[in-house]
Amino acid sequence: MPFKTEHLLMKSASNHIKGIITRCTNYKEADRIFTLISDNGIMKFIARGAKKPSSKLSGHIEPLNYVTLYYRPSKSLNSVSQVESINSFLEIKKEYNLILRAQYMMELSESLSSENEDSSYILSLLISTLSNIHNSKIPDLDILIFEFELLKYQGFGIRLFDCTNCNKKLERSDHYFSSKAGGFYCEDCFEFKEIHHESIKVTIEQQLLLRTISRKKYKDLINLNLVEKEINNCRKLIQKSVQDIIGVQLKTVKFSDL
Amino acid sequence: MTSGNNSLPTEVQKLIIAFSTLPGIGPKTAQRLSYFVLSQNKEETLKLSEALIEVKENLGFCKTCCFITSDKNSENCPYCYEKDSAQICIVENVIDAITIEMSGIHKGSFHVLHGAISPMNGIGPEKLKIEELMKRLNRGETKEIILATNPTLEGEATGMYLNRIISENYNNIKLTRLARGLASGTDLEYSDFNTLSNAFQNRTSIDEIS
Repeated sequence: MPFKTEHLLMKSASNHIKGIITRCTNYKEADRIFTLISDNGIMKFIARGAKKPSSKLSGHIEPLNYVTLYYRPSKSLNSVSQVESINSFLEIKKEYNLILRAQYMMELSESLSSENEDSSYILSLLISTLSNIHNSKIPDLDILIFEFELLKYQGFGIRLFDCTNCNKKLERSDHYFSSKAGGFYCEDCFEFKEIHHESIKVTIEQQLLLRTISRKKYKDLINLNLVEKEINNCRKLIQKSVQDIIGVQLKTVKFSDL
Repeated sequence: MTSGNNSLPTEVQKLIIAFSTLPGIGPKTAQRLSYFVLSQNKEETLKLSEALIEVKENLGFCKTCCFITSDKNSENCPYCYEKDSAQICIVENVIDAITIEMSGIHKGSFHVLHGAISPMNGIGPEKLKIEELMKRLNRGETKEIILATNPTLEGEATGMYLNRIISENYNNIKLTRLARGLASGTDLEYSDFNTLSNAFQNRTSIDEIS
């Protein structure tokens, strides 16, 4: 028969989850309600008394903290009993531009996840990008890879090698991209279809960059000499796709384009 | 609103809706407050309503420091006249300024930003009272700025942004921020990495403590 405290710990350990806190809101006198992106999708919790300086939870319950939460399940909001920080991404929190970019990635992950749905890949992708971004020569490349992989995983991957209308292999030239169609149009289809108003002209360099990202691994990509301007142009394409998928523009988009 | 509220008199429904707009007040609490108001005597209720009207009609925000003032049309509030403008303490909200003022530690003036940069909520620097701060700094009276934004992600981001624009434009102004680290009464065991990291970085010599 275990001691009473051990028994309690064993009981509480059954309700624990790991994840990244994406947003916090103050509630009542000293409570905080927060959202966590976990292996089980988006989850909401209440941390009672977390605003008090003496609280064991304060400091841990902050956006951009990778934590293990021990909680008591409830019909409305799960109540947090204990928190352990795994990674606080301190290097990101030291730089204004990185904070804005991290918030964009968290909002994007939130918008493409839902409650009670397996999000383990999204979480691992977010953690690895957040862990690498402060060492990156071009942080926007890390974000572009993150956006590209996230869309691909959610089934909204961009068709890069063939025409989205006739399936013909794309020639090595500039093409028109349609976020609604999820890819590029060949010359013939672009002339035939009345899609001029909704499509964006994409240069061969930008197409090659996206193809490289789709083929190569992260460690190979960061060693390539890539042009920052092309990366930003590709990010605009992806952001247009995200906007069409979720139906609204993410609030953090305008802040992450610095 | 629940369908049960429709059977209530319109006045009560209006009161419940009005209470529901307050932060932290849900529909059930709004109902309880409304029934409490109904059971109160008339004098007490009138006092509450008068206080609410007076706050909205007589008070506004100072054009200089953005703190609460009863003189809405004047450029400077009494605080601006009384306090030393050579040292400005920047806070996120009015309540933060009141807390620091009550402690009696800060003798200089305040500047209230009315929020913090929060991209997740669509709040950028343009929505804060930064333009008013820049106008104030242009007068050339300020020697030191104390950043007293909250030690949260939003507060830190706001502090970094202000640090960038102030140091770029006013290189003669000293920029400081409140110390970060362990709070009194906390246990090291339960401290988060950020707090511990700050506590180690900002550690002081024993001589300075004694």
